[in-house]
Amino acid sequence: MAGGVAATAGWVIAAPDPLPASALKPHTASIENGKRLYTAAGCLSCHLPAKDNKQADMSLPSGGRVLKTPAGAFYPPNITPDTETGIGGWTGIQFINAVKRGISPDGRHYLPAFPYTSYSKMSDADVLDIKAYMDTLKPVQAENQPADLPLGLPVETAMRRGLGIWKIAAGFDPTEFVKDASKDDIWNKGAYLVQGPGHCGECHTPRDWAMAMDTSRWMAGGPHPEGDGKVPSLRNLKSRGRFKDAGDLATALEFGETLGYDKMSSGGMAAVQTNMSKLPAEDRTAIATYLMSLE
Amino acid sequence: MFFRLVSSSRTAVIGLVAVIGVTGAAFAGPIEDRQANMKNVGKAMGALAAIAKKEAPFDAAVVNTNATALADNVKEAKAHFPDGSETGDKETWAKAEIWQNKADFEAKADKSVEVAMQMAAVTDEADFGAALGALGATCKACHEDYRRPKE
Repeated sequence: MAGGVAATAGWVIAAPDPLPASALKPHTASIENGKRLYTAAGCLSCHLPAKDNKQADMSLPSGGRVLKTPAGAFYPPNITPDTETGIGGWTGIQFINAVKRGISPDGRHYLPAFPYTSYSKMSDADVLDIKAYMDTLKPVQAENQPADLPLGLPVETAMRRGLGIWKIAAGFDPTEFVKDASKDDIWNKGAYLVQGPGHCGECHTPRDWAMAMDTSRWMAGGPHPEGDGKVPSLRNLKSRGRFKDAGDLATALEFGETLGYDKMSSGGMAAVQTNMSKLPAEDRTAIATYLMSLE
Repeated sequence: MFFRLVSSSRTAVIGLVAVIGVTGAAFAGPIEDRQANMKNVGKAMGALAAIAKKEAPFDAAVVNTNATALADNVKEAKAHFPDGSETGDKETWAKAEIWQNKADFEAKADKSVEVAMQMAAVTDEADFGAALGALGATCKACHEDYRRPKE
């Protein structure tokens, strides 16, 4: 009986907690800013079509490419604006709840392979800009593929609700980035890009017992989340001799191995670096300025 | 006499060191071999990148020497991933996918050699940047799929 009550209470506590539409402020979207942040966030890099899908347009995020994690294999979904199989027709608040809170329009928790834990740092305005840009993409009809979880669908259903508990245990805090007034604008811009859209900490910050980013070891590196190899620390990059200065790191982000910067291609970094190369130069400078300041 | 004794034992020590050195190299496994090989590639790439970053002047002879060295080493690299060398006593950053997709792995190496040979022929500074970009892209393509990330 007590167990039943506890389970029911747990089920209720674990319920998704979306933002209401009334929380949104009026916003005139910028498609250009949306494209920039869509690139910085690496949306396409995970939502690519499967490698062997010869018909697919690899420039569109129609999803299906396998993402291996210790919990199982996931197939990130179609996020083109197709109304049947993609995210066409979503409202602004639905998109914000998905990206910043990890809650789907039908009220389910998303698996945190989708880095909403970082995207929550973004402003609503920026997230709406990303949506405005994505709405200009060509819709692709591509059905989503369910995850290969070791124990199948009933477990997935429980696990998804259990993610509500995980969000609490992991200390998931969907508050936006707050500027550090003691630092200049370039540093703050870089910190925002790294912590929010760039979601760099998802790989470069080690995880604690709850599989949440251990912020006390922010960017300290550790085992690769896909289980193969080690992710380098981004602390003390200068004193460790990795980069001479912010300009050197900005160049590395722009050119990667095409300028001989080793270690910019493995473990998913190739896609990240390609995305970084497409950002405005001042964004790369800001990112480099922030990263070089980490001690 | 004392001097001769010291001198001859010194010779013996030097000889012994030399023998250890030689046999050490001969008995090094494929993991050590490919890591030494990739170090050579990195050294050549570093010399080329220094020119692009204006840390060194453009010199067609330096470009030729390093691009050729890079091509030779990458050509040789293919032999350093024999079956059974997926893991070993020394930690390797080579991914298991190399042995699962050997044909693609070797095609990527061949492409790198081809592009490096094109770079070796560059004599005009105006062509250098594009050639280096193309060469670096082949490093990136292979490391993206086949190298484990490391600290």
